[in-house]
Amino acid sequence: MNAVAVNVEEKLFQNRYRVDAGRPHIQIKDPEICANDCAQKSCTYVCPASCYKAEGNGSVTLITDGCLECGSCRIICSEFTNVNWEYPRGGHGILFKFG
Amino acid sequence: MKKPSQFDAIVVGAGPSGNACAYTLAKAGLKVLQIERGEYPGSKNVQGAILYSDALEKIIPDFRDDAPLERHIIEQRVWVLDDNSFVGTHYRSDDYNKPPYNRYTIIRAQFDKWFSSKVREAGALLICETTVNHLIMDGDQVVGVQCDREAGDVYADVVIMADGVNSTLARKAGFHGEIKDSNVALAVKEILFMPEDTIRQRFNIGEEEGVVIEMVGKITDGMMGTGFLYTNKESLTIGIGCMLGDFKGSVNKTSPYALLEKLKQHPSIAPLIQGGEMKEYAAHLIPEGGFYAIPKVYGNGWMIVGDSGGFVNAVHREGSNLAMTTGRLAAETVIAAKAAGKPMSEAVLKNYKTELDKSFVMKDLHKYRDMPEVFHKNNQFFTTYPELVSKAAHKMFTVDGVDKKTKEREIFSSFRTSRSLTGLVGDAVKLWRAFR
Repeated sequence: MNAVAVNVEEKLFQNRYRVDAGRPHIQIKDPEICANDCAQKSCTYVCPASCYKAEGNGSVTLITDGCLECGSCRIICSEFTNVNWEYPRGGHGILFKFG
Repeated sequence: MKKPSQFDAIVVGAGPSGNACAYTLAKAGLKVLQIERGEYPGSKNVQGAILYSDALEKIIPDFRDDAPLERHIIEQRVWVLDDNSFVGTHYRSDDYNKPPYNRYTIIRAQFDKWFSSKVREAGALLICETTVNHLIMDGDQVVGVQCDREAGDVYADVVIMADGVNSTLARKAGFHGEIKDSNVALAVKEILFMPEDTIRQRFNIGEEEGVVIEMVGKITDGMMGTGFLYTNKESLTIGIGCMLGDFKGSVNKTSPYALLEKLKQHPSIAPLIQGGEMKEYAAHLIPEGGFYAIPKVYGNGWMIVGDSGGFVNAVHREGSNLAMTTGRLAAETVIAAKAAGKPMSEAVLKNYKTELDKSFVMKDLHKYRDMPEVFHKNNQFFTTYPELVSKAAHKMFTVDGVDKKTKEREIFSSFRTSRSLTGLVGDAVKLWRAFR
């Protein structure tokens, strides 16, 4: 498909969040696996909030602040099950105004 | 050691299934605790959203009196899109303008808040901003839940999991495995605000009337999925969803937000949404595995309802009505068991499954049991065919001096070139067998 320039951050900016500072509800279990064993890194383009970023050195970084809590990253990481996925603590995370 | 139950039932989650369940239980006089992780019911919940009246009528017959409803649907459009055009069918009927209305667009954050107020009026205790981390087991019996607050262990005779598509609690307890990426769709959507008058003019509708557009074709970039555009009172909802496994395997590494952006820019869509002010961007998984993907939904001291149990009819875009129905049936199972003085054992709660099987929920899912597999293995239904249909329409409707017989021949031959005669017949048979 023709490339469409999309700024996800701009979309997420419209959303309301209560970030649980310092307590990310999702973690990459072993960053080495992302860097060395996973060629596809599908989380970096499937995550609808673009929380996962492919870095120049082959590693993947995760910032959960914009997470929409869909669960996709956990499910697609089926070969390596390298994602620790929990819901945020009660009251934290995305707070949909409309849903 | 088994702790004494503090509640007859704990319902985890305050979406349509959890609310239907808690409401029905509380109405029957049971002591119910409902736990919701959001700031308020609805703040974690995402849907298109269309509300089908029937399932809610069976729970709250007079819901129309005060439920926050956007527009009742009088026109259904189905569009097949290629890059520059759409071929579509529109069905509009004044019969849909006669109350009681069959379906409405709703805004879930508002609707779920309203539904929850009914649940509390009925007598259930609701605790928000609380995430349930685990079920508490006594041997193979679920006896309560462990929440993420101090002294967060709560005990009940039965726990009903209405915790949504990720089905976290049952999965952690080992009641079923991880969801397969071929059994869920990932959908993203935006809500775009614009003046009521603009919506009425663009969609040719009256004050309360609404239009829905369901879309397939090149918009999904070769993946199995659909787009949608719904009219709310003062806003439009536009979204697109494809199977999660298709996203993962996407040749172009297509992201969901790129699909949505492209859809918004489509020449047939852009004029409809022009000027809309985007106020929220949401994403959600939809369990679309159907009949064969439904896990075991009951056991000793537990039941699963709604999306958590995979109760979605993807073919007819129905989910919240199945959710409410499963929530109600689970509640009725508990009520009957209580009345008979029976324990909340697997043997007793099996009645929930029996009632599900008798209802439209399992009948419909069974009818379309092969559909997910057929579509999954034959993505020509989402790629080749929409394009062929668009080209055929373009050829037929372009007046260029070529006679119609020749045009027909060219169209037929385009279908044969793309799919071969056996392919065409095979596809027709597959669809017929899956739909019948």
